[in-house]
Amino acid sequence: MRWVMDRRDFIKRGGTILAGASGALSLPVVSSCTPEVPHGASTLAGKRMGMVIDLTKCRSGCTACMDACREENNVAFFGDPRWDVHWLRKVNIRPTEEYEGGEGGAEKTVLLMCNHCDDPPCAQVCPVQATYKREDGIVLVDHHRCIGCRYCMIACPYNARYFNWRENEDWPNKEYPKRSHGVAESCNFCAHLVDQMKLPACVQTCQDIGAGALVFGDLNDPQSEVARLVAERSTKRIREDWGTEPKVYYIGL
Amino acid sequence: MKLSTALNRENRGVAATVLVILILLPLAASIVGFVVRGGRDVPEVFLEKADPRWDACVRETEYMRFYHMDFLKEIREDVVRSGVKGGVTLAGCGDCHRNRDQFCDRCHQAASVNLDCFGCHFYPETDAERISAGM
Repeated sequence: MRWVMDRRDFIKRGGTILAGASGALSLPVVSSCTPEVPHGASTLAGKRMGMVIDLTKCRSGCTACMDACREENNVAFFGDPRWDVHWLRKVNIRPTEEYEGGEGGAEKTVLLMCNHCDDPPCAQVCPVQATYKREDGIVLVDHHRCIGCRYCMIACPYNARYFNWRENEDWPNKEYPKRSHGVAESCNFCAHLVDQMKLPACVQTCQDIGAGALVFGDLNDPQSEVARLVAERSTKRIREDWGTEPKVYYIGL
Repeated sequence: MKLSTALNRENRGVAATVLVILILLPLAASIVGFVVRGGRDVPEVFLEKADPRWDACVRETEYMRFYHMDFLKEIREDVVRSGVKGGVTLAGCGDCHRNRDQFCDRCHQAASVNLDCFGCHFYPETDAERISAGM
């Protein structure tokens, strides 16, 4: 029997054989490319870490959280506003508009920090992806990659970012690295403590002194206190109209 | 006088010899220098073996000698970007390798590798430092 094949059949069958052969051959190659020791799997996916700040419980004049933050994260302080770095800062706001009570209304102390936006402008503009949002929603800086261009400081609508203009010699917590001159930084929710299932230093301190104004937890977990507070209490976030979806909620703002 | 006239057959040989000597001179100088110094500018690998945990390095010695930089970078990516802690830390190297000058800086200086790890990371070298750092 003569094997007659027209051009169409030849291409069809030839293609099938080729595809099968290449698939079979590539199998061992692909499997040999998988690393022998797999990297540790991240357990952060699905979480959405956030903070609730209860300004009705926050004590005016108290700086415990800010001090604890400096102590834990080696945040630079020179006593000169040109170079000081603040991960947390407290500001006094007073009403100016008529509907807020007008001039001379009661002053309010507000704790300001990185809002850990779901859509962080700082991470969008970072040219080297040093600033990034972790899978659990914490926005942090990989200082190994930071080139010190300071775009993030311009992009951040909350002015939460600071630049290390000078080398910081203070090193109270040697277990946590300090930052050298020339990198930008901001609050990272004490990501190294969160990884150890601990609370951020400011939250822990606020609970320790008995104020309990700061609550930290997973907003996606309906059992957590932050999720409960956000659901039950009247909370505000700063400038929600910007669409950055911050994860720091305020009660009594 | 034209160049072609100056470089006649006899002169050309001299010029070529001079050129070859000039090219080989740095190589010869480095070889002579190496022999004279007995190769002492190549750092010996110095490791403090007093610690009983010496045999329990995170990887084999040969692997660490050639690939420690890649190894540390991998761990760095895991810890910083994924929040996965494998127990290996830069300060943990100092558990056994107490002397940073001898363990890190000596080879890096010889190889002209400039590191800035320790501008931010603490490397405990003595027990006193370790205790005062709370490690």
